[in-house]
Amino acid sequence: MLNVAHSPLLQAITGHAAATPDKTALVAGDRRISYSQLVAAIEQAAAFLHSLGLKPGDHIILSAQKELEFVYLYFAAHQSGIINVVVDSAAPADRLAYIIDVVHPAVLFGDSTVADRVRCVPFSALATSHDMAAGLPAHSITPDAVADVMFTTGTTAAPKGVCLSHANIAASASNTNSFIGNGPDDVEALALPLSHSFGLGRLRCSLLAGATMVMVSNFANLKSLFSVMTAERVTGFGMVPAVWQYIKRLSGKRIGVFADQLRFIEIGSAALPVEDKRLLMELFPHTRLCMHYGLTEASRAMFSEFHTDAANLHTIGRPASAMVQAVVLDDSGHPVDDGMDGEICVKGNMVTRSYFLEKDNADAFYGDEWFRTGDWGHRDASGNFYLTGRRKELINVGGEKVSPATIEDAICSLGVSDCACVAVPDPNGVLGEVPKAFICRGGTTMGLDEIKQRLVQLLPNHEIPVLWEWIDSIPRTPSGKIQRLKLKS
Amino acid sequence: MESQVKQIIARVLNVDLDLITDDLSSGDIPQWDSVGNLAIISTIEQELNIEFPLEDLFDLTSVKSIVDEVNQLADA
Repeated sequence: MLNVAHSPLLQAITGHAAATPDKTALVAGDRRISYSQLVAAIEQAAAFLHSLGLKPGDHIILSAQKELEFVYLYFAAHQSGIINVVVDSAAPADRLAYIIDVVHPAVLFGDSTVADRVRCVPFSALATSHDMAAGLPAHSITPDAVADVMFTTGTTAAPKGVCLSHANIAASASNTNSFIGNGPDDVEALALPLSHSFGLGRLRCSLLAGATMVMVSNFANLKSLFSVMTAERVTGFGMVPAVWQYIKRLSGKRIGVFADQLRFIEIGSAALPVEDKRLLMELFPHTRLCMHYGLTEASRAMFSEFHTDAANLHTIGRPASAMVQAVVLDDSGHPVDDGMDGEICVKGNMVTRSYFLEKDNADAFYGDEWFRTGDWGHRDASGNFYLTGRRKELINVGGEKVSPATIEDAICSLGVSDCACVAVPDPNGVLGEVPKAFICRGGTTMGLDEIKQRLVQLLPNHEIPVLWEWIDSIPRTPSGKIQRLKLKS
Repeated sequence: MESQVKQIIARVLNVDLDLITDDLSSGDIPQWDSVGNLAIISTIEQELNIEFPLEDLFDLTSVKSIVDEVNQLADA
């Protein structure tokens, strides 16, 4: 039997398995898994974790892959009080090394090249493990215990580990489902990566609702995705704005054929131009087009729905549910009047209580409860919120948050004396923002093309600057901080 | 032309050339995601001095389909 008292998500999943045991929970390629099979698989995975000597409070790294075994291990860790650290399977080596150094994982699940640093177990080991579900040890984990640690990019080169409790992740899913209105009859396509808060959150939303989730590798092959949407009668999916630009560019308005089939589309992770919101409304007149605002630390804090907000498409929405509150505070943490800009702060059942490292908790909250998003904006008299800028300096490349410091460190490691990176609009109009690099003239013997070519070996594709420029000197404050605004003007 | 296209795909995705078989499709490997796909399209257009017709992009889903399209455009 699974231990579920501490996990509202596991309670829901086992509840669905009892009420609708044969209902399909997950589809991955040719494999279809019912809710009763899912619970049995989680139970076996929990026994597998136990057989590896893992115990409550241990950390494991899950190198996220769109595989059923990932889902089984993810929830098995929850049932056992083992803490998941979910990372991108394509994460750069230095990011993975940093995370390993910070969390000291007992095991890393997935294919990895870091076997010399941590015990690595492939996901396939679970598939070939024998039935070991003969009694799982009891524990005293509570809903407020940490379930997952998700690492953000952070404004500095060092990522921050966000600690999310069992209660947090269930609350975020519950808030989201209550706004979107998705339910057990829905069939959702998941093409978003599971290593991100958005994709992992959609998985939790679907299983909390007792719906069916069809896992698709990614959005690259739209022809294949559309075939799956037809064959499985998909009723909803999530996407980031860059994916929408991609869909438009590669398939035009073909996706409109699903207008009568799709009940909801959730959009998030970056801003979407108003003209695109209007186009989506035109293509999907009866679909709930829900756009979230949030961060890993406060997942899905606010929502807008394009048809409902047709007269006000600039808003990022209102708090996602009655369990969430948002305010605009000044630099001293005091509320500002409606219409005045300040820092958007949120509190609610889905908000993290702390970062993994104590040093990251300084200034994270105003008082004990208002989480500081780092985003600037205001609220109108109707309670709608608007973003007017971003305090943090991350570059949002199609939903992937890129730290300028990461790129700068990589460029300097090639033998460049000084450089700076800023976000600029994607000249192709697809990815939202892309990095632009300024290289200090005279600070290197390399040409810009050579730097770019060598950078490909160090950084993933989306972190490679698209635009390059020589500059006489990098503008800095007296304390040495790069004045990025000057580079943008 | 075929080997040129395959080399570009391998370089853009930063994977071994051996992996770039005719039947490899977008989405088959994590590196060939939507960002990678766009990079493949724009790099091929730039380096081979061609332009894929917009209406054809939807069907360019495999190495073979891209090679065939490039050959067709080069012959035109």
